[in-house]
Amino acid sequence: MKEIIAVVRINKVSATKKALVQVGAAGFTALKVMGRGRLVEDKAVIAERRATLLALAQKDDYNTEKLITKFLDGTRLFPRRMFTVLAHDEDVPKIVAAIIEANKTDYNVGDGKIFVLPVLDAVRVRTKESGDAAI
Amino acid sequence: MIMVRAIVRPDKKEVVLDELSSAGFHAATVVDVVGRGKQKGIKFGDVIYDEIPKSLIMLVIHDEDKEDVLDVIIRHAKTGEAGAFGDGKIFISSTDEVYTVSSGVAGL
Repeated sequence: MKEIIAVVRINKVSATKKALVQVGAAGFTALKVMGRGRLVEDKAVIAERRATLLALAQKDDYNTEKLITKFLDGTRLFPRRMFTVLAHDEDVPKIVAAIIEANKTDYNVGDGKIFVLPVLDAVRVRTKESGDAAI
Repeated sequence: MIMVRAIVRPDKKEVVLDELSSAGFHAATVVDVVGRGKQKGIKFGDVIYDEIPKSLIMLVIHDEDKEDVLDVIIRHAKTGEAGAFGDGKIFISSTDEVYTVSSGVAGL
């Protein structure tokens, strides 16, 4: 048994849910979280989106610029959705591939991370089944 | 790789995150949680508060960085020199695989 923890963009939640159903992992728990990733060292990666967001901003002062840059280069915490999925060992690659497929964007950064953790045991409350049968 | 889940006081969250960042561990996920500990919550007169707000900081690191990360968290999440009840707990679990969605590459 494995626990798959995926931190994804909030606007990709419905796509992720759909993808999970399609690979046969319908059960999940989702949480609203705040997070940040690795610092963006190559400013060229975020230059284009920074320009778009700056054009959308109403006030054109220094603070707005600083805020947008901080959001994009990863120094600030930003909202994300955290999915927790329990899976049988053999289903893990399939589910990971589906989550990656659903969440990939052209922005190069900020698409999220997926962690796979071992699980010692699971119990279904209704039937008291434990182990692989509980998933 | 290991996953570190640290439950700290909400007012220590910022300083712990800043210090983790300057120690080279920038990536983290933060959740606001409520819970109680060994002291069974806080009791004022007849009222027991057993849903105390805390912040959960979650990060995945390489095995060899464990001591550094623990040191940073414990040093900065503590209240005063001696520490106090309610400063929090740190849980460590193993992580088999990590994937970055944007590149699909495995590894931290």
